Amino acid sequence: MKGKKTGVIFFPAFDWAISPTHPEREERLLYTRDQIFEEGLMDLPQIAEYPPKLATIHDIARVHFCVPRVQSQVTEAHLIAAGATMSLGDSIIQGEIKNGFSIVRPPGHHAMRVVHGNRGFCNINNEAVLVDYLRRRYGICRVAIVDSDVHHGDGTQEIFYHDPDVLFISFHQDGRTIFPGTGFAHELGGPQAYARTINIPLPPGMTDTTFHYVADNLVLPLINDFKPDFIINSAGQDNHYTDPLGSMKFTARGYADFTRKLNPHLAVLEGGYAIETALPYINMSILMALAGIDYSKVREPDIDSCSFKENPDRFAQVQKTVEELLDIWSRRDKADIEKIFGSGKFYQRKKHIYYDTDYIEEEQFEKVRLCGSCPGYMLIESRADRGYGETARVFAVSIPFNACQDCQMEAYNWYEEAVNKKKGCDFVQMQDKSTDTCLSFDISKNQEWKSEGPRPGV
Amino acid sequence: MYIGLDVGGTYTDAVLLEKGRVKSWTKVPTREDLLNSLLEAFDKIMRGVPADLIKRVVLSTTMITNLIAEKKYDPVGLILLPGPGLENSHYRFDTKTCIVGGVIDYRGREVVPLPEGDVDSAIRTLAGLNYKKVAVVGKFSSRNNKHEKEVCRRIQESYIDWQVEMGHEVAGQLNFPRRVMSTLLNCATRDKYQFFAQSVLAALNSRDISCPVYILKADGGTMPLNTSLSSPVETIFSGPAASILGVQALIPPGETAVILDIGGTTTDLALILGGQPLLASKGADVFGHMTHVSALAVKSVPVGGDSVVECVGKELILLSERVGPPYCLGGPMPTPTDALKVLGLTKLGNMKKANEAMKILGKPLGIETWEVAARIMMMVNDTITGEIKNMFEKWEQEPAYRVWEVLQKKRVRPNTVVGVGGAASGFMPMIAATLDCRPLIPPYAQVANAIGAAVARPTLQVSLRADTEQGIYTLLEEGYQGPIEDKPFNEEKALRLAEKWLHKRAKKYGLENDMGEVEVTRREVFNMVRDWVTSGKLIDVSVQTKRGILHYIGTGGGNIER
Repeated sequence: MKGKKTGVIFFPAFDWAISPTHPEREERLLYTRDQIFEEGLMDLPQIAEYPPKLATIHDIARVHFCVPRVQSQVTEAHLIAAGATMSLGDSIIQGEIKNGFSIVRPPGHHAMRVVHGNRGFCNINNEAVLVDYLRRRYGICRVAIVDSDVHHGDGTQEIFYHDPDVLFISFHQDGRTIFPGTGFAHELGGPQAYARTINIPLPPGMTDTTFHYVADNLVLPLINDFKPDFIINSAGQDNHYTDPLGSMKFTARGYADFTRKLNPHLAVLEGGYAIETALPYINMSILMALAGIDYSKVREPDIDSCSFKENPDRFAQVQKTVEELLDIWSRRDKADIEKIFGSGKFYQRKKHIYYDTDYIEEEQFEKVRLCGSCPGYMLIESRADRGYGETARVFAVSIPFNACQDCQMEAYNWYEEAVNKKKGCDFVQMQDKSTDTCLSFDISKNQEWKSEGPRPGV
Repeated sequence: MYIGLDVGGTYTDAVLLEKGRVKSWTKVPTREDLLNSLLEAFDKIMRGVPADLIKRVVLSTTMITNLIAEKKYDPVGLILLPGPGLENSHYRFDTKTCIVGGVIDYRGREVVPLPEGDVDSAIRTLAGLNYKKVAVVGKFSSRNNKHEKEVCRRIQESYIDWQVEMGHEVAGQLNFPRRVMSTLLNCATRDKYQFFAQSVLAALNSRDISCPVYILKADGGTMPLNTSLSSPVETIFSGPAASILGVQALIPPGETAVILDIGGTTTDLALILGGQPLLASKGADVFGHMTHVSALAVKSVPVGGDSVVECVGKELILLSERVGPPYCLGGPMPTPTDALKVLGLTKLGNMKKANEAMKILGKPLGIETWEVAARIMMMVNDTITGEIKNMFEKWEQEPAYRVWEVLQKKRVRPNTVVGVGGAASGFMPMIAATLDCRPLIPPYAQVANAIGAAVARPTLQVSLRADTEQGIYTLLEEGYQGPIEDKPFNEEKALRLAEKWLHKRAKKYGLENDMGEVEVTRREVFNMVRDWVTSGKLIDVSVQTKRGILHYIGTGGGNIER
C-alpha cells in the first residue's frame, strides 16, 4: 500500500440539476472545486486525478430493474457518476492506487433495486453498481458498505438485504425525524443474510463524540470480524452542523478522523447540501485523510464560535442501541432463523415505497427462495402509481452471482412462465448475475431485449 | 514584412517574412554581447530591405528559462497568507518564507482580518536578512486582493526601494502553491528580463526599425515587449512554443501531427491536433516547480543523437546521458548517431570510426556491425514511439467536469510525424512507419522557431467573474476587482463587459487593429440559492482573440482569414 497514491475523480456535473433551485443542482460542488483547486491538492504527489468514464446500460441493468427500461431512468450524468465510481474501483483492484474518492453527482444511496423514478435525489445506486461490477469482473466477493449520510441508506440496504456477503452499516438521524423514515435497529437483513444489515438511528443534535463512539465501538469491530475484500464508504456529508436538511452536529474534523479510522478502499460522495459552509471543508479533509495528509488545519470558518455539547440522555440511548447490536452481531450465526422469519420454500414480504422527488407510490411483493446451498433467487412483483391512474407493473427475477444450478433453473422457469402468461404485468425482467445476462420483456409490444456483459477477464 | 527572432542559448535565428514567403533567414551564434549578436542577425536578413517596410517584429527566447535553470537571479523573500487548509509545512520554498494570518474564502469574503502585527514582523524579518525583492501571495487573493494590497502598502511605507510582486497580479487562476511559484519567479527575473528587452529595443533602434515589437508567450500567444516587462515569467518556454507554431505554419492546414525535435541529448515532443497546437491542461512545470504559466504541451524525452549506448551483459542499453560528441565525430563512446552513420542515414562523421563504435558493442554479443546499428535504431525508436503513445493517452485521460465534456472525448491518432532538429531526419522514417504515419521534414526546419515567432498572431484574453449577490466582479488577467454597476446584471451583460475590457486591453497593448474575431471560450452561470430562494448568480465568462498563426508558409502567401 505504501507509496501508492489516492485516486480521485471529481465530477461536479456543472451542467446537470434536478431543477434550478433544487438542493441537487449545478452549484452544489462549485465551492468544493474552488477549495480543492486553490489548495493545489491535485498537484500533490500523494494524489492522482482521473477522468470519469461512462457506465454502460448493462452495468446498470445488472443491478436495477428500471421501469420500463434503463434508458428511461438514467441521464448521461448518472452513467458518468456510476462510471467514475467503477473506474476508481478498477484502479484500486489493479493496484494502481491505494484508495479513492469519487466526488460525483448525482448521488445514489436511496435508489433501490426496482427503479420507477427518482427518490431522495437518486435514480441509480452508484455503490451497488460498483459492487456487482467488481464481483463480475474481478471475482470480489465480500464487501462492506458503511453509510455515513444523515439519511438512512435505504436503497443500498434494500439491494443487499438478502446478500450474506455484503455487510451494510448505516448510522443516521433517527428515521422518525427525517427522510426516508426507515433505518431502525430492528432492520437486520433477511433470513439468508441475518445481521448483515446494521442500522444505528441517532437522535437529532448528536456531535462528533457520538459519531466516534459508534465508529470505535460498533463499525470498526464489525468490519474487523467480517473481513471484507473491499470497503466502501457512502460519504454523505449532511451530518454537518450547518446542513439545511439534517439536524446533526458533526464537523469536518469528525468526518476526516472517521475516514482515517475506517480506511475505506473507496469513498463515494452521497448527500450534503451545506454547499458553502460544509462541503468544501469536508470533501477536502476526507480526501486528505485518504491520502494520509495532515488535515488538522482544515477548519470551518466559524468553528471557534461553536460549542457543541452532547445530551447525556440521548448519548446513553445510543450506547444502549450499540450494545444491543453488538449482542445480535456476536450471536448472528446461532440465531434461530426459522423462529424470526418463519419456514417454507420462500420468505416473503410486502413493501410500500414512496418516491419523494417524483411523487410515485410503489407497492412491492418480494419473495426470496430459501435455498440451503446459495443465497437464493428473488421474485419481485411491483406496481407503481404515478398519479392520474397511470400505473406500471413489473415482474422481476434476480439470480445472485453465486446461485446454485437449481435456483438458476427455477428462476428461468419463473421468467418464462411470466412471459408466456402475458398478464398480470406490463413488463417482465430478469437479471442473472451468475452468467451476467439481463432480459427484459415488454408485454404490450411482445418483444424481448437481452444484454450480456463482457466475459470475465476481457 | 515581419521579422521573427529566436534568441537561444547557443544560436540566434532570424527570418524575414513577406506574406507567406521566407525572404531571407540566418543563424548566428549568441554571444555574451547580446546587442552585437542581434545586430549581426538583423543585418544579414535585412540586406537591401528598407527598415520602414517592417511592420512587426516578434521575439522568442530561452533567456528566462536558462536564468531559472541556472538559478542566476537574486533571492526573493516570501510573505504568504495561506489561511486554513494544508499544513504550513507544505509551503516549503527555497527561500525565507514568512506566514501571515488573515483569511479570505472561496467567494472572496474576508473571514479573518489581516493581523497588522504579523505583517510588520514579517517585513522586519525579511529586512533583517537583506531581502530587497518580496513576493506577497494570499490564498484566494484572485477573489479578493485586499490583504495582498495591504501588505504591499505597509512594505512600501518603510522600504520604498523594494521590488514587491503581488500574487493576484501575476496569476489569477485557482491554485495557491502555483500562484506562489509564478509570483516568485516573476519577481526574480524581472530586472534581468528588462535588460534583455532593452538590448533588443536598442538593436532595433540603431537599425531604424520602429514598428511594434512583441514577444511570444509559452502558450503561443504574443504580448507587446513593453508590457511583457511586468510579466517575464509568461515568456518562459517561448522557444519551444515558437518552434511548434513554426511547424504549424510549415505543414498543411488541419493536420494531426506529432512534432519531433531530436537534439543531442533530448527529444522534445509536441502535438498538433486538427491543425491546432495542444495546450497543456495545467500550468508549466519549470524545472520541478509547478507554475500557472499557460504553455503548449511539450514532453521532453531524455534520448538524442549523442546519448551513450553501452553493452551490459548480453544486452545493449541506451543511457540518458551525454559524455561527449558521437564516436564518429571524435567522441569517447558509441551513440545512436554512429548507428545512423553505419546505416547510411546521416552525412555527419567518419564512417570508419562509426564502424569501430559498432564493433566495440557487437564483440561481446557476437553480432555483426549492421545488426548492432539496427538494434540501436530499434531502441531509440521504441523509446520515442512509446512516449508519443503515452502523450496521446495522457491527453485522453484529462479530467472533465461537465457531462458534454465526457461525451465528446474521442480517440485521436496522428497521421503525420514532423521532424525538426539535427538528428531528426535519420530516425524519422522508422518512427513514422511504427506509428503508421507519413514522415515529413518541412523546408526551413532549421529555423522553424524564428518562423513560428514571425507568424504568431497577437492574442489577448479577458476572464471575468461576477458575484451578483456580493455585487462585485473581478478580472483575472488584470487583477482588477470592482463593483457591478449595471444592475440587474446577467450573462449577456457579463459578456459585453468582458468584451469591453478586451478592447481596453487591446488598446493598452496597441493591438486594437489586430484583434480579429473574438471567441467566447467559457460561459458559466451558477444560481446561488440560499434558504430555497435564488439569492444571486455567479457568472464566469472568458473571451479571447483567436490564438494561432497568421500565415502558412509556402501556400503562396495566403492569409488564413481569407
